Amino acid sequence: MNIFTRLEQWERQGTISAEQRAYLTGLCRGEPFSLFLELNILLCAGVLAFVAGLGWTVTTWSKQLGDVVVLTVLSALFAGCFWYCFSRAPAWSRAEKASPTAIFDYVLYLGSLVWCIELAYLENRFHVLSGQWDIYLLVTAAFFFFLAYRLDNRFVLSLALSSLAGWFGLKVSHWPSRQEEAYREWALVYCLVVGMGGVILRQGGLKAHFFGTYLNVVANVLFWAVLSGVFNWQGYGPWLLALLIACGASLAWGLKGRQFAFVAYAAVYGYVGVSSVLIRGTGDSALILTYFAFTAVAMLVVLVLIARRFGRPE
Amino acid sequence: MRIYSASAEEALRARKRLRDWTGEGFLSKEQYDRLRQETVPQLRTTNIFLRVVLFFFTLIGVGAGVALFFVGSGPSEQAIGDFLLIFAVVCYGAAEFAVSQARLYRYGIEEALAVCSVAFLCLGTQLAFLSHHYAPKPDIAQSLVPVLGAVFSLWIWRRFGFAYAFLAAMICAIFLAGFWTDSIAVQHGIVAVFYGFGLTAVIAVRPRHLSDYLDETYSLAEALLWLGIYVALNLQISSWKPLSEWLNASAWRSARTAFEFSMPFYWATWVLIWCLPPIMLTRGIRRKDRFVIAVGAIASVLTLLSNKPYLGWPRHTWDPMILGVVLTGVALFLRRWLAGGPRGIRYGFTARRLSGKDKQWMNVGSAVLGLVTPESVVPGPQTRRTDFRFGGGQTGGGGAGGEF
Repeated sequence: MNIFTRLEQWERQGTISAEQRAYLTGLCRGEPFSLFLELNILLCAGVLAFVAGLGWTVTTWSKQLGDVVVLTVLSALFAGCFWYCFSRAPAWSRAEKASPTAIFDYVLYLGSLVWCIELAYLENRFHVLSGQWDIYLLVTAAFFFFLAYRLDNRFVLSLALSSLAGWFGLKVSHWPSRQEEAYREWALVYCLVVGMGGVILRQGGLKAHFFGTYLNVVANVLFWAVLSGVFNWQGYGPWLLALLIACGASLAWGLKGRQFAFVAYAAVYGYVGVSSVLIRGTGDSALILTYFAFTAVAMLVVLVLIARRFGRPE
Repeated sequence: MRIYSASAEEALRARKRLRDWTGEGFLSKEQYDRLRQETVPQLRTTNIFLRVVLFFFTLIGVGAGVALFFVGSGPSEQAIGDFLLIFAVVCYGAAEFAVSQARLYRYGIEEALAVCSVAFLCLGTQLAFLSHHYAPKPDIAQSLVPVLGAVFSLWIWRRFGFAYAFLAAMICAIFLAGFWTDSIAVQHGIVAVFYGFGLTAVIAVRPRHLSDYLDETYSLAEALLWLGIYVALNLQISSWKPLSEWLNASAWRSARTAFEFSMPFYWATWVLIWCLPPIMLTRGIRRKDRFVIAVGAIASVLTLLSNKPYLGWPRHTWDPMILGVVLTGVALFLRRWLAGGPRGIRYGFTARRLSGKDKQWMNVGSAVLGLVTPESVVPGPQTRRTDFRFGGGQTGGGGAGGEF
């Protein structure tokens, strides 16, 4: 029984109306056929290609074009984009707001990326902050956070989170020694700051729909940081414990909220970390392969049980 | 031939549509709850995350189990090949069993088993029959492995409906041509002809499945074949040069030139890469086929990108800007034009969102894009100063993490 027969049947049963059946039958036949996704992808690709070309041109021809021309063009683009966005932005609300126009998000993308290019150009040419890129990154992150919350945009929120990560990274790079440990510790601080920030903003009802983005970024950074500690040959015990706690928390969160990405994180990161500890120093390939064969089957059994009990189709 | 019954697949398809329609408000929650009872799937499914993880662990388990078999004993290549062929049969049998008995559908486990069976078949054949067969190319005997790989992948696609098995068969066809002739031009031609035959077959079969669950499967296969033909004929794209080198402004001299091929062949392919995208787009739009429209659009962009290397013209740094303006302009024009029609519809097309999945994709896409964009779109330095080091912070950083 195909979908058309089913729709007929549901109409006969009185579960759906004749109008609903006609409309849904049309949708199944592609009448009308929505090009929403395709047009959005095209717009996004257009903005990315334009910004890539702009950055490339500025980089290659800056000396020939001169600072005035480059900065005028970049500033005009930047100002134009943000004039468009702020002149059309709806009144601010704590809840999720739909974009006011179809191209609003893409103009905001363009403006945000042009800001990145202009800032990099300014510092490189005029050394305004004497190479203090971390300050630029912090300012950029703050600016993008403001934009994300004022204009309700996930893309700019991701830019803000990556700029903040860059700021933490640059801070550590200025330190003289123990870089790997320092990066790991600061990654944890980053997770703490971003995670707490996400929770507080969610509790305050400020764009609560952004929470998923915060949580996914924090989970991945946290697991990478902890795993890098587990991979150490010495002093990995606390990191292993941290990994197990993180996996347990991720699993519990994933199952409770039916967010199976977190179940997947717990399974994969946990398996990699625990396996690296258990098989390190083992030269016997038969033993290693036996370990992988048995543990993979054990993981399959556990995951199938989880899938049967909790796993809904996508 | 298909391992899943038509009724089971139709029920799954209906359930997915119900969820989508309810999400968009075309059906009420009460209607959804009632209709859901009538589309109870007889198959066991899971979500995408668990599917990927189950696939991953099945691969590890099977790989380690099979490798364990050969550790220590040090069997000959011939013996390893023979055993791998046996393991291919075992894996395939296990995949069939997982579907027929456990009723798994896109569950990861049966998929990994099927993938392992193809891999073991190819590797086993190579080791069992061809490991001591050293002959200079072209060598028809050596083509046995890609032939078997292609045929078995196609079987997996028909039997289980895994789209990536079809793609694997297409990839095997690429290797096949290399064993038959030394001529690069003929290799391109053979691959295009293979895909052309495949496309003809798919186009012939599709009208019978317009209203059933197989339409999407054939739609994807047709789209892949169109793209395959295009890539086989586009001598610049299929030269497999690294993207960075290919996009580099100064690398145009190293791009493939007319001197590597006979002039008629080279220029014929140039004409074809301009002709194929409109044909794909026209067919996709006429049939309202999302996948074919998508590959038509991709091929159009690739044609614009590869035109200059074809003609031997230098690239300019502002070329991507022009491309960006063109893409944005086309998207804006189409959106406005469609929106200007009665109720926002022209010729059966609309720019409005009709599926909740579109919004989901957009949200995930924009979040991921925001994390990777700064590195991707802001290029590296023109000249590197040696007296100053910025250190780390290469990841993210809103694009401001390097020097100009």
